[in-house]
Amino acid sequence: MENKKLIQLFTQKAEAVGTIVREMGSASDAIQYTAGIANKKQMNTLACPGLSSKDRDLISDLCKSEKLTFLESPLREQASFLDISLTWANYGIAETGTLMLVSNSEEIRIATMLAQIHIAMLPISKINQDTEAIEHNLDKILKNDTPSFAAFITGASRTADIERVLAIGVHGPVELHIALLKEA
Amino acid sequence: MIKTPKDMKTYKKQLHEALEDSFLRSALDKFNTVYRENRPTVYEGIDFEGIRDLIAENKDRLIPFLETLFDEFKRNAQKAGTIVHRAKDAAQANEIIARIAADNQVKSIIKSKSMTAEETFLNDHLEEKGFEVTETDLGEWIIQLKHEGPSHMVMPAIHLSRYQVGELFEKQTHSRLDKENIDKLVKVARKELRPKFLEADMGISGANFAVADSGTLGLVTNEGNMRLVTTLPKIHVALVGFDKLVPNLKTTLTILKLLPRNATGQAITSYVTWIKGTNQCLNTPNKQKIMHIVFLDNGRLSLSKDPVFSQSLRCIRCGACANVCPIYSKVGGHKYGHVYIGAIGLILTLFYHGKENDRVIVKNCLNCQACKEICPVGIDLPHLIKKTYAQILKQDGKKPVKNWVLSKVMKNRKLFHFLIRQSHLAQKPFTKGAPLIRHLPSFLEKDHGFRSLPVIAKRPLRDQWEKLHQAISNPSLKVALFAGCAIDFIYPEQGKALLTLLQNAKIQTGFPMDQTCCGLPAMMAAEEDTAKKIALQNIRAFKDEKVDYIVTLCASCASHLIHNYQKIFKEAQEDPAGLKSFTRKIIDFSSFMDKVYPLDDHKPTAAKKVAYHAPCHLCRGLKVTEQPRALIQKAGFTYIPSKDEDVCCGFGGSYSVDFPEISREILKKKLDNIEASDAELLVTDCPGCVLQLRGGLDKRQSPIKVMHLVELLSKGQI
Ligand code: SF4
Ligand code: SF4
Repeated sequence: MENKKLIQLFTQKAEAVGTIVREMGSASDAIQYTAGIANKKQMNTLACPGLSSKDRDLISDLCKSEKLTFLESPLREQASFLDISLTWANYGIAETGTLMLVSNSEEIRIATMLAQIHIAMLPISKINQDTEAIEHNLDKILKNDTPSFAAFITGASRTADIERVLAIGVHGPVELHIALLKEA
Repeated sequence: MIKTPKDMKTYKKQLHEALEDSFLRSALDKFNTVYRENRPTVYEGIDFEGIRDLIAENKDRLIPFLETLFDEFKRNAQKAGTIVHRAKDAAQANEIIARIAADNQVKSIIKSKSMTAEETFLNDHLEEKGFEVTETDLGEWIIQLKHEGPSHMVMPAIHLSRYQVGELFEKQTHSRLDKENIDKLVKVARKELRPKFLEADMGISGANFAVADSGTLGLVTNEGNMRLVTTLPKIHVALVGFDKLVPNLKTTLTILKLLPRNATGQAITSYVTWIKGTNQCLNTPNKQKIMHIVFLDNGRLSLSKDPVFSQSLRCIRCGACANVCPIYSKVGGHKYGHVYIGAIGLILTLFYHGKENDRVIVKNCLNCQACKEICPVGIDLPHLIKKTYAQILKQDGKKPVKNWVLSKVMKNRKLFHFLIRQSHLAQKPFTKGAPLIRHLPSFLEKDHGFRSLPVIAKRPLRDQWEKLHQAISNPSLKVALFAGCAIDFIYPEQGKALLTLLQNAKIQTGFPMDQTCCGLPAMMAAEEDTAKKIALQNIRAFKDEKVDYIVTLCASCASHLIHNYQKIFKEAQEDPAGLKSFTRKIIDFSSFMDKVYPLDDHKPTAAKKVAYHAPCHLCRGLKVTEQPRALIQKAGFTYIPSKDEDVCCGFGGSYSVDFPEISREILKKKLDNIEASDAELLVTDCPGCVLQLRGGLDKRQSPIKVMHLVELLSKGQI
């Protein structure tokens, strides 16, 4: 029950800032979902850094049948035509509908920053109530003596710099989708 | 290039031009209202005051140790490959950054938004050295194309309309654009700037936090450009003020609860990014980025040791002190700051950009307390603004004539009162027997004719007191009246109304004749020594009164007597006899009526519809908000809510004489709201507000009458 409430709150807060949230079973469902979105939006290219080799194979097969170009690493040179990306998220923060994403890998950063649409997979077990609840984990990552790049991501990229009118997708993704996975 | 006027004449001319800019006026007015209206929703379920006090406490604890935090940060950041620098001033910071660029054969640089880089005029320096610099935050890019500085700390291009932005973009892209469509304009920026991100050799960012115990930077953003700036080029340089140092992640997460809410009305921004060390970068030989952080002192470390001004380092640059400021909403940020904008800008300009850039703008404050109330780190902004002015006078080593006269006159009560009495005679030619002066001599009428002016009373309250006052046998309570100049010399009838109410309830009332002005005008003119001398006179005047309360009808006097007296002596490290008991006994009229006066509240409701204006120093200064409205109802009147009741009326004491044009515009909005409210009477509980509102409505020939609450209550059925 507690868990259900948390998912509800997370979903409600994420949707309030325009994030599209879908509950599904597993990573393979999320892969299907991604291909579906790519198809619907007539996108041409897809990247999915950080996924297991099994999942990558699944995607690259799907890409072939869906006429999608699967972009292999390194993404930097292909960034200007990257349409859709699928990555994992590390945690969810219910209070604000936020994802926490550790993106030490440049590929993950580029995929989540430069794609038109970013789809993130989040196991429901990783949803926490608030930032305090993940403070310890983040702190541990940052206190490592190695470089790190982590982010709280809440909705799509936005601006209100012209006449304070909200516009979505100024530099980062135009859409953020979250695939809430029952099984991790 | 920013050019802030250094003399009042130029400044006034610019203010006049700003007031004529109709887009600016309507955009900022709307923003001011919307920002305040959205606040309850934004803060739902959040204990703003509790968290604010916690942040203030945390910050105050760390500010004396910025250097220690710097050392700790440096140690931890170095472990992850970051090169940490410190720059004593703007020039040094710019040189360090230009050198990093030159050493790495950089040609093009992309930047994300940084007020600290604005502070050092970094772009100018880098461009001078031959680097190509592109701002990538949408607002910053717009003002870069326009060759202007930001007009707001969070929304740098808030002063420009979509059409103005469209024109800039058309010039830039050499194409015709749909200037009506903001979404399309935003996409132009996306398209134009994408290649810049991918080509740039170096990215420059600021930071919101420098977390010492891990050597991490925290950046709070929405557009996503900062993430690209810090990811794509092989070099990342962050320019960070010493004031951004915090001990640990916990502190930042607490600040994060208020920062986005206060800045943009969001529970959290789209991106909060944590960056540490030389992160992966696949197009360099060693697959790592080059990472530099330049910490900027530029006066911060000496500020951190200043007993009065150190609290200004608490600022987290949310921009809200501008959003709610009635003056900002009339003239915009280019006329209300130098680089830093709004209340905090009036303060920091002195320390970061020198007194010449602050000299005239620092005077443009109503002391309305709106900024202080909204500040998420609890900086006493209005107080520090006056302190800043005092500091400038001190650095100058000479005072304006006005201050010299004010000090001479006000320190001497008898002389002061003699002069006020004289002005009654001087006014005679203009009053023509009326209670208000409707027409000023023509050379004054143009600027100051927006309101009728009150007449100095023929007989001040103090001269009438003996006759009015009745001894009460077996009094239920003993109080004394602190009249203040306005009640004593302009509106003695309000004092009389109070006396009637008190005597009806068998309350014995004293009027110590040695009392004088509360001293607020001296404080507003940064005459600190005079303000202190006056305070001592008043404390002495009431010392022998055996009373339970000292009642005042003036909200400004009340808040000055209670709060500023304590501040004045605390700052002077003095504790004069009687101070504590004096300030403890002071009570404003509404609180007195609500808490102490024996009210009978089973009264029928009269038909008269009454609107209420909440005086700044009552609703924000003393946090008295519900009582006056309840009293209106209890006295049998119908309280009619009106829009923006708690926004300043534009009086601000001598402010309305120094900046009449702005005062007039603020008053206009207030009166428009009142006239739209269907009220027959307008009531407030400060004689200063009565003066402004009554004068304004009289000039408009409005049928709405203005009263002090005491007059309403003494006429009512209490
Ligand atoms: S006190 Fe009022 S007028 Fe002065 S800076 Fe603050 S908000 Fe503006
Ligand atoms: S002074 Fe306070 S309100 Fe103004 S920008 Fe700084 S934190 Fe925000």
